[in-house]
Amino acid sequence: MRNRRLLPLILGCLLLSLFLLMALFPQLFTPYGVKQMFAPWQTCTGEHLLGTNALGYDIFTELVYGTRETLFIGLMSSLLTMLLGTAIGTAAACRGFVGHFFNGLINIFVLLPRLITLIVLASFVGSSQWNLIWLICAFSWVGIARNVRSKVMHLNEQTFIENCIIQGYDRVHIAVHHILPNLYDVLISRFLLGVNSCIMMESTLSFLGFGDLYHPTWGTMINFAYKRGAFIRQAYSYLLTPGICIMLLSLSFFFLSLYFEGRRDTISEG
Amino acid sequence: MKQYSKNILVALVCFLIVIVLNFLLPRLLPGNPIAYLTGFSEEDMTVAQQEFYENALHLKESGFVQFGFYLRSLLDGTLGYSYKKNAVVSALILERLGITLQITLPSVLLSTVLGLVWGLHNGYQKDSLSDRLSTSAMIVVNTIPTFLIGLVLIILFCFRVRWLPYTGLSSSHPGTGPAWLLDRLKHLFLPVLTLTIATTPSRYLLMRNTASRVADEKYILYAKERGLSDHTIKYHYLLKNIAQPFITMVGMSVSTCVGGSLIIENIFSINGMGKLLTDAVYTLDYPLMQGILFVTTLIMVISIVVTDFICIAIDPKVRLRHEK
Repeated sequence: MRNRRLLPLILGCLLLSLFLLMALFPQLFTPYGVKQMFAPWQTCTGEHLLGTNALGYDIFTELVYGTRETLFIGLMSSLLTMLLGTAIGTAAACRGFVGHFFNGLINIFVLLPRLITLIVLASFVGSSQWNLIWLICAFSWVGIARNVRSKVMHLNEQTFIENCIIQGYDRVHIAVHHILPNLYDVLISRFLLGVNSCIMMESTLSFLGFGDLYHPTWGTMINFAYKRGAFIRQAYSYLLTPGICIMLLSLSFFFLSLYFEGRRDTISEG
Repeated sequence: MKQYSKNILVALVCFLIVIVLNFLLPRLLPGNPIAYLTGFSEEDMTVAQQEFYENALHLKESGFVQFGFYLRSLLDGTLGYSYKKNAVVSALILERLGITLQITLPSVLLSTVLGLVWGLHNGYQKDSLSDRLSTSAMIVVNTIPTFLIGLVLIILFCFRVRWLPYTGLSSSHPGTGPAWLLDRLKHLFLPVLTLTIATTPSRYLLMRNTASRVADEKYILYAKERGLSDHTIKYHYLLKNIAQPFITMVGMSVSTCVGGSLIIENIFSINGMGKLLTDAVYTLDYPLMQGILFVTTLIMVISIVVTDFICIAIDPKVRLRHEK
């Protein structure tokens, strides 16, 4: 039983560490540079694992170098999302006007058509890497905020918080020192799942052509492959491998969150 | 009842916020609002043209008057004027909306039915072999980006075996009557399939998880003891108790489906609303983009109001209180 609990953790860690290694030391995986040119549209061979693209760049090299950008946007926006979501969620659990206001805000953001709003906003403010991160963050904090809110409301009922109130601590002190530390299990699993949705959002935007061209991610790669006629050239590896990488990366984060959720269940059951 | 009317109120507020956002964005961002509102760059315009647009867009008036003009354009159904395409925005959108709905509606229905039936089945018999297999399969499918599904399907069905067409919604000579219908169905098959595969997992997982939680309740055990058939227990006991969150979720996900249709229209080169939006973005046609955002929000608000009414209609607590 113990081993089965650990299985998702091991799988997730293996996959994730592979991707992290690719992000940190891309030179380890490929002998070529990103802008090194060869004959265009070569098929998969030992020299070029996935062949070369329309401009003659090695596709595998592009893939390896794209890992860093994809992970960076995913992790960064998820981190910001978590901070924003925690702040708003805690505020929404307050009583009185503040609570009502932030709760209303949450309800409104749940309803917004996310992808289309993002596209319209991205085209207004321009789609540099940081703009994308801020935009994705601005539209994905809702899930975390809702979870945090319900957890905080649950905690507020507990006796140790009551004790704190009787002891005469002020509300900010209670929130920072007693409520926030108890949120970590919600936050860890939400953060890991949040990375997934952020990566998915970013790759969708990039696939549609709203990505940052100076920092090409996997989504941007598929967009290029699609536009430059990889279909007609039958360069299916060019089209599919970035997508499969996105899938594997999402799965690795999902496995990790599965492990943490399992652990949480054991704790609350025991 | 109170909860439902609150939901509808929130949806309306959300709608108002999109309207205000639409109005403020081009006027508050750094740069000349004329450039944002027409889509032409400042350098290319002559002074006379600038004057013309400034008058046509009422930019000299005060903010409130401008907002009034904007509201009027929403109310009379024109949604503004696209200077890039020289057409009224709502006419452009209406032309394409039907096509998008042809993809979205069937896949919303299909994925709802699939997610409901299959999720209920596996949630009721949790930890059975079929539950384990299909739940883990759905989790994997949930992590596949929509465009990857589309691309794989195109490669499989259009390039490997050449059964189905991969662009557009009709052939160059679609014919008439049944031949036309067959042709259209052939073209719709892959886009609808893609969107269905992309949206089923979340519904399945929600249904499966809520069903498996409720399946442990005492009244289900009692129903089993009484020897009722699985079918009766599933649809008359389980489903009635967990339908409400599922319906709400389906209503909310209609806008996600419209977003998903955007990706699919791009892959399959279908001239729907999503294609219109990407065109608008590439040609910097801001009024058109805002119109599309407005229409999607409208669709979303309508679907939420409709689902809330469905919830009211099927919720016996609300219904019976009214009959009293």
